[in-house]
Amino acid sequence: MKKTLEDWIVDIVVWVSLLLVAFITLYPFWYIIIASFNEGVDMMRGGVYWIPRKFTTYNYVDFFRSSEWLSGLKVSVLRTLIGTILTVTFTSMVSYALSRKDLMFGNTYRFMFIMSMYVSGGLIPFYVVLRIVGLLNTFYVYVIPTMLNLFFVLVGINFFRSIPESVIESGRLDGALEITIFFRIVLPVSKPFIATLALFSAVHQWNSWLDSTYYVNTNSLRPMAYYMVSQINRTISSTSSSQILDSSAVKVTALSTQATSVVVSMFPILCVYPFLQKYFVQGMMIGSVKG
Amino acid sequence: MLNKELRGKGWVRYKRQFELQLFAYLGIVFLAVFSWAPLFGLIIAFKDYSINTGISGIFTSQWNNFKFFKEFFTSYRFSELLRNTIVVSVLKLIFTFPAPIILALLLSEVRVSFFKRFVQTVSYLPNFISWVLVYTITYNLLSEEVGAINNLMVNLGIIEKPLPIMSSPDHFYSLAVGLSVWKTTGWSAIIFLAAISGVDPALYEAASIDGAGRLGRIWHVTLPSIRGAIITVLIISIGGMLGGGMGGSNFEISYLFGNPNNYKTADIIQKYAFDMGLKNGRFAFATAVDLCQSIISVTLVLISNKIAKMISGEGLF
Repeated sequence: MKKTLEDWIVDIVVWVSLLLVAFITLYPFWYIIIASFNEGVDMMRGGVYWIPRKFTTYNYVDFFRSSEWLSGLKVSVLRTLIGTILTVTFTSMVSYALSRKDLMFGNTYRFMFIMSMYVSGGLIPFYVVLRIVGLLNTFYVYVIPTMLNLFFVLVGINFFRSIPESVIESGRLDGALEITIFFRIVLPVSKPFIATLALFSAVHQWNSWLDSTYYVNTNSLRPMAYYMVSQINRTISSTSSSQILDSSAVKVTALSTQATSVVVSMFPILCVYPFLQKYFVQGMMIGSVKG
Repeated sequence: MLNKELRGKGWVRYKRQFELQLFAYLGIVFLAVFSWAPLFGLIIAFKDYSINTGISGIFTSQWNNFKFFKEFFTSYRFSELLRNTIVVSVLKLIFTFPAPIILALLLSEVRVSFFKRFVQTVSYLPNFISWVLVYTITYNLLSEEVGAINNLMVNLGIIEKPLPIMSSPDHFYSLAVGLSVWKTTGWSAIIFLAAISGVDPALYEAASIDGAGRLGRIWHVTLPSIRGAIITVLIISIGGMLGGGMGGSNFEISYLFGNPNNYKTADIIQKYAFDMGLKNGRFAFATAVDLCQSIISVTLVLISNKIAKMISGEGLF
């Protein structure tokens, strides 16, 4: 088919805008990567846009020597692992029970769960509750309140209902306990749901810093994301003084440390990104079909 | 037939499915502690509650005659906080809602599948990084002191001195909206792309035969076909508007991007509640402030629902 003038114009507009979108999205990431591999003091002189001018890996050496960052990294890894396992197990178990049509009082239960999604007491009453149950200022405050993800309970109800009854029935004939049926039969056929929930939960845990700001005041319990926030305040105060440029002994600036921490914190996500992208898209669709 | 063992009547049936009931109970206990108890805890907004008195203090403390609400409404910061809360939410909705639809339409017009996949993959990326990283990256690119883009524009002679994008009250709204669009557009486009891919190709052929060009087909076929998806997303976005819509928290933006220079436009009600409650320890007052935000939120949803009904004849609920 011959291209008309309109076709040409539409094609050009589409390609130019999408190239622009790709550039605007990618360039900030690229810039921060360069900044992390350029000498800190040199970077402050400006003019580095495409590739590092004075290449160095010293920023990373310095980063991994700091006990503060290492402790933050440890907490982040731990909460991501433990939080994800707890969320996946608990949310899918509850959701499975609620998905069963033969569950007595099922409609009442499901109604209670859906309503709870839309109302919330807000920050302060939640804080008071955490204080009363003794979660305040413990590691558990990161992983216990997030165990039940109400949105995924609803997604799960729809998902588990799509498993043929005969599959579940086959387990029951062997006289297995419900919990055995759940772990041996239901979970293995629920991979798309489990994967989506696990990935959402892991990204959420890895990125979280607000809960640490709200509910924790012990430094050894701070995740890496929290240190990045406190770094922000330090950077603002240090860049306003120009002293840092004069002393040649300083190799690392607050800015270069910050850039390095961004890259370190993005690294796990970038590594798994190509693989998890597929699942995220699927998960988004499971959720939206529900409407 | 299904689950013969779990059928039956009353107590017998209940006993047979006790394990399943247990699963549900665990969930309900969790809800009771982390959802319903805080809801009940809202009562402290109306009382002279001190956090040191624990649970019993909630019952024994005196009613305070709405004094915290009065204090908040008459506070000199009230009008400013209310304005920021509403302006940021509404502006964000206006820009972050159509952007993904436009991106999805652009992507669906690309015939080279490699390029389409590339742009799509790239555009999801910002959704997976936290607002903290967004802040840090923005600071490196846009700040007055070290921002590379400010720097470049000064060097090229476009502007005389760096723009105080991150440190002036004049720029906060556009900064918050711009970054939200950057962060959420690609991800939100997924739903619309899926809806577009579900459109019957025969409709496009028919439209071509009737003489519709590419724009005509977008206008007369694609858009009407994805109307359902558009309305669904609009419902979700309006519902969560004050919290920051589908893809981002207004509180996080206000907390991270707010500073002593721009607090006049950056502070929102939630941020104020945080400052008062957890920083200054005025728990009951902060609860009252937070409650005001919830009330505004519900009001906004009701108003927008009414407008939606008037315009399209189709309400959200």
